[in-house]
Amino acid sequence: MDLMLLAPELTLAVTGLAVLLIGLFLPVGAKKMLGYLASLGILVALALTVSSLGTEATMFNDTLSIDALSQFFKIVFLVVALLFAIASIKYTEGNSHTEEFFSLGVFATIGMMFVASANDIMVLFIAFELASLATYALAGFEKSNQKSLEAAMKYFMIGSLSAALLLFGISFIYGMTGTTSIPAIAAGAGNLVTNPIGLVAVVLLVAGFGFKIALVPFHMWAPDTYQGSPSVVSSLLAAGSKKMGIVAAFKVFIVALIALQAEWQMVFAILAVLTMTYGNVVALSQTSVKRMLAYSSLAQAGYITMAFVVLTPMALGGGILYALSHGFMKAGAFIATAAVVYMVLSENRDVEDPDHLDNFKGLGKRMPVTALSMTIFVFALAGIPLTAGYMSKFVLFSSTIQAGFVWLAVIAILNSALSLYYYARVVKYMYFIPTDAGKVSEPLPYTIALVIAVIGVLAIGFWSEPFVYWAMEAAKVLIPGGM
Amino acid sequence: MLPILSLIVLIPLLFAALTLFTKTKEQARVMALVATVAVLVLTLYMYINFDSTIADNQFEEIYQWVPSLGINYHLGVDGIGMPLILLNAIVLPFLILFTWNDDRKAPNRFYALILATEGAVIGVFAALDFFLFYIFWELTLIPLFFMVSIWGGPGKHHAAIKFFIYTHIASLVMLLGIFGLYFSAWEMTGTPSLDIPALLSQFQFIGSGVMKDLIFLALLFGFIVKIPVFPFHSWQPDAYTEAPTAGSVLFVMLKIGGYGIFKVILPLLPFTASPNLMITIMAALGAVSIIYGAFLALAQSDLKRMVAYSSVSHMGYVLLGAAGLVSLSVSGAMFQQFSHGLIMSIMFMACGVINTTAGTRIINDLGGLAQKMPKLAVIMVLTFMASLGLPGLSGFIAEVSVLAGSFVNLPSYVIIALLAIVITAAYHIWALQRAMFGVFNEKLGTIVDINGYQTLSMGIIAILIVYFGWNPSPVLDMMLTNSEQIISLMAVMGV
Repeated sequence: MDLMLLAPELTLAVTGLAVLLIGLFLPVGAKKMLGYLASLGILVALALTVSSLGTEATMFNDTLSIDALSQFFKIVFLVVALLFAIASIKYTEGNSHTEEFFSLGVFATIGMMFVASANDIMVLFIAFELASLATYALAGFEKSNQKSLEAAMKYFMIGSLSAALLLFGISFIYGMTGTTSIPAIAAGAGNLVTNPIGLVAVVLLVAGFGFKIALVPFHMWAPDTYQGSPSVVSSLLAAGSKKMGIVAAFKVFIVALIALQAEWQMVFAILAVLTMTYGNVVALSQTSVKRMLAYSSLAQAGYITMAFVVLTPMALGGGILYALSHGFMKAGAFIATAAVVYMVLSENRDVEDPDHLDNFKGLGKRMPVTALSMTIFVFALAGIPLTAGYMSKFVLFSSTIQAGFVWLAVIAILNSALSLYYYARVVKYMYFIPTDAGKVSEPLPYTIALVIAVIGVLAIGFWSEPFVYWAMEAAKVLIPGGM
Repeated sequence: MLPILSLIVLIPLLFAALTLFTKTKEQARVMALVATVAVLVLTLYMYINFDSTIADNQFEEIYQWVPSLGINYHLGVDGIGMPLILLNAIVLPFLILFTWNDDRKAPNRFYALILATEGAVIGVFAALDFFLFYIFWELTLIPLFFMVSIWGGPGKHHAAIKFFIYTHIASLVMLLGIFGLYFSAWEMTGTPSLDIPALLSQFQFIGSGVMKDLIFLALLFGFIVKIPVFPFHSWQPDAYTEAPTAGSVLFVMLKIGGYGIFKVILPLLPFTASPNLMITIMAALGAVSIIYGAFLALAQSDLKRMVAYSSVSHMGYVLLGAAGLVSLSVSGAMFQQFSHGLIMSIMFMACGVINTTAGTRIINDLGGLAQKMPKLAVIMVLTFMASLGLPGLSGFIAEVSVLAGSFVNLPSYVIIALLAIVITAAYHIWALQRAMFGVFNEKLGTIVDINGYQTLSMGIIAILIVYFGWNPSPVLDMMLTNSEQIISLMAVMGV
């Protein structure tokens, strides 16, 4: 066993602890460097992960596996964490709890990365909880802000409930198969198929993951939490934590419980259609940009869920590529919103809804870089060609047709057309509704994070080949064979 | 060799981005003129070196893009696309000149959007890969949407949204058709490819007849909404009327729907499971559009709206001629696209000029404008005559070829369409008589004739209308070559 395989995780763990310790000895004014330190740690971990793409190994008695799938998702999480950390440098400025903020963020990322490489259902659960606990605390970071507390409380309650459901489902599976190893479960799933307990386990697991991925009807917490949490944290939740739910569900359903495919495939089809339609329809009427992004995030999760229904290597590759694209697009959109919120609050501390659409008026003149980036993100979310969103939708939706689920593709495409309306509205506010307010200087950390996300979105859109290739390689881990 | 097609597509797009950063009207319009003239020069160079005796794609460029999905950067142009690129390249510099002295808000964005539209539209005509084709196809939508919603008339928001939703949904349906074709071919050949010529030639081997018909109908729907023809035309009068003059002209240059019919639909047609049904659908929609559009035009009180509806009627000829399936009618329909682009751009320019100087476009409120605007009157009379199909002008060649050619296979539809000719003549002449001639309406105040730039741009396009009316062969020859090649495919149907 080679510990170097865990180098990214170890780097992050050291970073997280170092940030926490150093923070104790720094005066508030100097805590800004913690943000740089955390970002640097994440960057190193990202570089290590990218350089080890293509490695295959298992560790700790087969409880962890390093393969294309885990590496790909680790990159997703690290990218999101990097954007989150850079943008947070400005957000946490002058806050005496900066060290907690960054170390929680780093620990959450470690949890997500272990979920991505888990090959044992217990390891998966523990890593899942590590990430969840850290994000509960992050959501309530603004201790004096009622909305933030409400967000954290809701997220915590629902999160705990879903964890209980997951664990309950896992216990049934363990009881029926006598193992917690994911490949072993897949091999011994015969019992689960013949026994109705298998169905109970599937129901519990669907509900448990449904909460985390925020699939309708398990989504109620998501809009409140995304709206109430600090915007930078929302970016981590929507772009990172949600992907963790997806990769965990990939492993549990598609690898471990593929024998019960007949039981869950149709359930996911219904959930996917409900989620994308509900998310898009409700997003149409939102005036809070964060809430709108939350609902759009539901819709996007609905699209990704289609991969569970289609179950071809191409669909899974599309879903995985979508996860990466969504990481860039959604994290970017939340960070752009965070920049606007920061700007609004620094002008007037007592604004009730700093993320209201009205505050985006004339943004094209006031904050040109933020406005342009936001435009690219929302157009990418809508699936406009030459962006990451289009490329992912192209692969995912077209695979749906290939597999013969034409009705599903039609619903998804109509949804996609619908979503353009509310995304375009943001652009309209930014560029076509004038305002008297003058130009403001854009905070540098936000701008850097935005530029990185824009590069990501456009790179996947233009220079798609390596991304598509690695997503397809990752899909082959889930469904060996391939096309 | 020079990647000439890439240059023609990328120069306008690049200059569009640069124009955004200009500060004044003077800088923006110069940038736009430089870009469009560069495109014109390159296009003429390409035209001169174009071999109109072969139906193959010429000036091909191909680079791998996303090999694991079979996506290539593949450009090329044949006798269907070449005249339309030429049309755009010729009209756009004159459109810039036409707007030379106008004052409007945000001129940098205005000219940037014009250039972006030009690049995207030419991109559609040059793309030989469905992925690229779809990108350009969607890219035409965005600048036009902003064009209408920023500089449009009083109903601009409604018109822009309607246009956007209508055509965006149509594009998505077309995309479904492309997916169907892509995967059916992938299953048969084992390798993914989005190459247009390759996919078109593999369509015939698809096993399932239902699948073939679904693919065909999805693509057809995408194209005819864009043309547009009855019953999907309702976005068009709103968008054409509310758009600023330059926007209306750009809409007229947007011949991508008709291009799709010739480039994609006709080569697939004989291999569908029920070709006769498909022909009936196309012919019926075409014939109904011709007559319905003409009646609606007759009923309009707004001059620009009348022109917009006349466009529905004229585009009906394109679909009817395509469905006629003899080389005379198909090439006539292609020529109709070219000729209609020239004629309509002058008609919309004229509407714009009248609206600016008289403050209204309501036909009954005008009157006797010819006394005050003699230059405009000359050009307008000529264009209106071309539009109603006077022999010797380009519109006549197109419409007569369509009607005479289609009569072979579709006599009953042609007879219906013939009825529209009377109405077409009526609304053109009636509008001209009420607006331009008769007693001058004193309430209109001071009327000024078109300025030098406007005279130059409208005049040159008018001269081209006369020229192509007498000598259509510079573009008709290549259209005929490609029509004959399309018709030769029809042998499988026993036509």
